[in-house]
Amino acid sequence: MPLFGRRAQLAVVRDAPSREPTLAERALDHVDELYGLARHLCGNVSDAEDLVQETYARALAAAPRFESGTNLRAWLFRILRNGFIDRARRRKIVLEIPDDTIDVTASETWDASSLDQLRYLTAAEVARAIAALPIEFRFVVYLDVEGFSEAEIADIVRCAPGTVKSRLARAKARLRAALEEKP
Amino acid sequence: MSTDEADRLIAAALRDHARVAAPARLRRRLERRFVRGERRWILPALTGLGGAIAAAALVLLFLRPAAALPDPAFEAVGDHQRVLAARELGVIASDMHHVKPWFAGKLDFVPPVTFLGDDDFPLRGGDVAIFLGHKAATFVFARRLHVISLFVFDGDAPSGERTIRGFHVATWSAGGFGFALVSDVGWDDLRALRARLTE
Repeated sequence: MPLFGRRAQLAVVRDAPSREPTLAERALDHVDELYGLARHLCGNVSDAEDLVQETYARALAAAPRFESGTNLRAWLFRILRNGFIDRARRRKIVLEIPDDTIDVTASETWDASSLDQLRYLTAAEVARAIAALPIEFRFVVYLDVEGFSEAEIADIVRCAPGTVKSRLARAKARLRAALEEKP
Repeated sequence: MSTDEADRLIAAALRDHARVAAPARLRRRLERRFVRGERRWILPALTGLGGAIAAAALVLLFLRPAAALPDPAFEAVGDHQRVLAARELGVIASDMHHVKPWFAGKLDFVPPVTFLGDDDFPLRGGDVAIFLGHKAATFVFARRLHVISLFVFDGDAPSGERTIRGFHVATWSAGGFGFALVSDVGWDDLRALRARLTE
């Protein structure tokens, strides 16, 4: 058996006693995704770390209620969302409720130079544009980026799939406006 | 050109930049708190060593005199007296958004305190204390002219209320942290603050 190099590492992995990862280990695989949303919601490192830590504490306290085989990521995001809303309530922060009845009409025109600007967006520009969105829009945009379907997002944020579709369209319109006007 | 191309480019930028890597210290803290603690119990059970360890522990329990466990309530009273005697706190601020960030780098956890203080219990500041041998976050609130100390530490505290040397102490656990609230205010005031802290 080779002692060094990739083949040796693979051999070691095969020889290791196999065991199922615990729920905590599996949950920790999603820390970057959760932290990203927390940063965009809280706007600062300290509150975001606090929210993520609280999310894990809540999730693992509720672990017996987690149904094996269901979507762990979605479950964690739902707990993070509930934690964030609880915090806002405790701090007496009123979250803007978007008007989901307004339709979005796509009548903008983009010239080549405006589109070129969008090709070279920086992380700071993206963060600023997200920060300008109402909280509920930040949720749907971020969860969309994370690859959740509209039905899954609706389940996480507790609204109808049609509402998610509407919020996504309106959030995109706001993002286009914000990023087109970026300095 | 239509908005489709703009949306496509924005979606690409979001995919590239929206996710923010969690700080290494947060990841370490979560692993230490939630994963390693879990493994300590699960692995022995899986390997069959759990029974042997439990049996050995039982033998030790009966054959050796029990060591005195540190009492969070007594510790809280001692630390509260140190707060009262201190010339000043590590951070003096009535804004929790100044106090909590002050702990960054001084503690290996984020104290899960979300009550910001209010007219009845204004926040006075914070400090780091040594509590049960570990660093703990101290939050100092006021009630009229009284001082109330809240100690938050990495561990558990039995839920209860005690009066020690005239100081009232309330202890509890939540989310893997222990909390001890201590002051010479009346029980009604102490319980009212505890209710705000656990809302």
